[in-house]
Amino acid sequence: MSTVTTYRPAALAELRDALVDSARAGERLAIAGGGSAAAWGGAPRYDAVLDTTAMSGLIAYNPTDMTVAVQAGMPFAALQETLAGNGQWVALDPARAGTVGGLVATADAGPVRHAFGTSRDCVIGVTVVLADGTVARSGGHVIKNVAGYDLAKVFHGSLGTLGVLAEVVLRLHPRPAATATLAVPCDAAAAFDLGGRLVHGSLEPVAVEWCDGTLLARFDGTAGGVEDRGRRAMALAGAGAEWLPGDDHRAGARWSAVADLVRGADGDTVVRLGAAPDRAPSLAALVDREARAHAVDAALTSSPFAGAHTVRLRGATAAAHAAVVIALRTEFPATTVCRWADGLHDELPAWGEPPPAVAVLRAVKRAFDPDDRLGSGRFAPWF
Amino acid sequence: MSWSAELAEALGRENVITDPARLRTYECDGLTGYRVQPAMVVLPRSAEQVAAAVRVCAGHGVPFVARGAGTGLSGGALPVADGIVISLQRLRRVVEVDPVNLRAVVEPGVTNLDISKAAAPYGLYYAPDPSSQQVCTIGGNVAENSGGAHCLKYGFTVNHVLAAEVVLADGTVTTLGGDSAQVPGYDLLGAFIGSEGTLGIVTKVTVRLLAKPAAVRTMVADFATVAGAGDAVTGIIAAGIVPAAVEMLDNLAIQAVAASTESVYTPDTVAALVVELDGPPDDVAEQFDEVQEICRQHGSTKIMLARDADHRALIWKGRKAAFAAVGRISPNYFVQDGVVPRGRLAEVLGRIAAMADDAGVRVANVFHAGDGNLHPLVLYSEAEGQHDRAERLSTQIAELCVELGGSLSGEHGIGADKACSMPRMFGEDDLATMLRLRTAFDPDGLCNPGKVFPTPRLCGERPGPYRPHPLEEAGVIERL
Repeated sequence: MSTVTTYRPAALAELRDALVDSARAGERLAIAGGGSAAAWGGAPRYDAVLDTTAMSGLIAYNPTDMTVAVQAGMPFAALQETLAGNGQWVALDPARAGTVGGLVATADAGPVRHAFGTSRDCVIGVTVVLADGTVARSGGHVIKNVAGYDLAKVFHGSLGTLGVLAEVVLRLHPRPAATATLAVPCDAAAAFDLGGRLVHGSLEPVAVEWCDGTLLARFDGTAGGVEDRGRRAMALAGAGAEWLPGDDHRAGARWSAVADLVRGADGDTVVRLGAAPDRAPSLAALVDREARAHAVDAALTSSPFAGAHTVRLRGATAAAHAAVVIALRTEFPATTVCRWADGLHDELPAWGEPPPAVAVLRAVKRAFDPDDRLGSGRFAPWF
Repeated sequence: MSWSAELAEALGRENVITDPARLRTYECDGLTGYRVQPAMVVLPRSAEQVAAAVRVCAGHGVPFVARGAGTGLSGGALPVADGIVISLQRLRRVVEVDPVNLRAVVEPGVTNLDISKAAAPYGLYYAPDPSSQQVCTIGGNVAENSGGAHCLKYGFTVNHVLAAEVVLADGTVTTLGGDSAQVPGYDLLGAFIGSEGTLGIVTKVTVRLLAKPAAVRTMVADFATVAGAGDAVTGIIAAGIVPAAVEMLDNLAIQAVAASTESVYTPDTVAALVVELDGPPDDVAEQFDEVQEICRQHGSTKIMLARDADHRALIWKGRKAAFAAVGRISPNYFVQDGVVPRGRLAEVLGRIAAMADDAGVRVANVFHAGDGNLHPLVLYSEAEGQHDRAERLSTQIAELCVELGGSLSGEHGIGADKACSMPRMFGEDDLATMLRLRTAFDPDGLCNPGKVFPTPRLCGERPGPYRPHPLEEAGVIERL
């Protein structure tokens, strides 16, 4: 049995040394944070693991500036807890309990992506270490900054294939004084229609999510403002709608269901995909149709206006899961498999049709990691 | 065949300029102190023609510079003497407004404001609003990652673009981004936006549109000290309020406005804050009261509330005219664009004032206080031989911002203007890593060379004094 070396640096200099050492040894590295997204895409080939979780410190937090700098291995939930003490947060609500660096590397996000986007919209600076040990910084500690290229963007969605995120600077938002959730049982088409009316009606929901038969819309703001919008949203929604003020168990349970679906469980397949907003109903229909055809238990949660969707497949065989994923990929090429049912890797290439700019993706990979030492095979068969 | 003949053949003679008198129109952008006459200007009529022009350049190793309206303030569209300028002014079609999907597809020569005009019938608008929005193009906005007065709440160009069709340096055409933000792989679109034209040329842009906010409220709060105004900004943010805009004008800027236009500002106040809130009506009303209270707590001497849309427009007209207005109180000026962490606003303004005293020149301040993005205007007289010390002060201010934990540029870009200051903000390895990205997109360095990154040739040269841009003299654009 072979043993795998694990590097577990606690500081930037140690991280740089680890990369230099592993380069000298000619090792291929798998970069690991919290491990919640370890299975995304292809399975990397590696000789050693670089574990970032000892780099978990807070570097600088000035609540007045509403920015925070952290080591990239900090658990995202721990960061949110620290910020909550000052009535602030990073405006992201991912389902997975990973690290800050992992959040950037996976481009993950949760329902508030509707208003706040993904980590690409919150990260204002990064320090990265490349495969050869080069330490590079871009951006900074101010929200508004156009000096130099924004390296954080190329690391966004890089899945550990370009370098190691060492430090991340994030912009913060104030926690709202009040919050409430509108819940409306309806099908995907009705949800898209009602969601559109909430958005076009300037009610400014921060999240619009259709999860497995229920439209959820979250409203943040002042106490009076949220109450007023609640009245108007309920009037638009009609019979059957519920208004759930606060973050309490009733609203909380609804949003937890979204996160549970996105995370999946052992034996499930979870697929993330992107689509234009008006394709949400046809995606829901496709998921239903394919699930029936292949006798798979399928569930869907959608942020239609952000164009982000997650499909969870449960039960049946790996071959059945593969058939559904292939059908999804055919219609929606921007698809990432985030969780693989047992045996699914044997049935399915890790990625479907590459994006049009795949040649540029390859060139960027070569420029940053010419020997393909980091996350080798993660994006196979694209590169 | 020579490359110039090939270009003329590929694009048609009528779409090519070689006459020196006509080339002069393209010798600078809004940073008028830097001027270089290009060898040729091409005016393609389609994305295919842009790609054809780039292919000819790639084949012959000819550098090329893309140009929109030429309103940039950092020399990002400064031509290269032995290269060509590719003007995108003829690609100005609004291809599609899609209210259901909350987006529009436009060609790069469409002006920023025309996107909002096209979206207006659907109750939608395009959020980033640089002050030159009547003239500046979306292609230029993508290159510069343009902001504007309202980016405190709404973010920058990069937060509002979903996809871009781009011509790469070898003349191939590809699409970055996609139908949604969920595109697997590196965020090439995000890296491209704000790359100042050095990674390729955008030929089509898909932008996000937002529903217009239901309510907008605007006020002007006067302060007896600049520090008091700065503290009020901190207080507003600390209260958990995210205004759509928070702008500050100091007395010199207010005097300039009063000298040039119908001013609603108090002539003798030391500083004024323009605060605008937008959003759902009840939320806005509640927070608008709170902002007034915070301003009073920080010693505001007078608060004027915009009575209606016309009154609000007057407030913004004064604010946006401040830059051009400075021309009424000073024959020449430099503008800077540095950013400091918001908490250090009062400190940086104090230090700038002291530095101005030392240099013996005046500095007017009119800027985006909410995000710490300064626009110090260093006033000087070329005739009185103040150019050099004013220029020195201007550079010192930008570098002071870096020293205080900020940035050389919040929205104008590095371009040719501040490339030589980049080593103040970034180390050699930082810049070398950025160059790896550059190389991945443009291995031969043909795409807008000489910008962003310091080069000995560039940094050995000295630019001429500021001269107003023709559009600015005509009052069409402002400098902020």
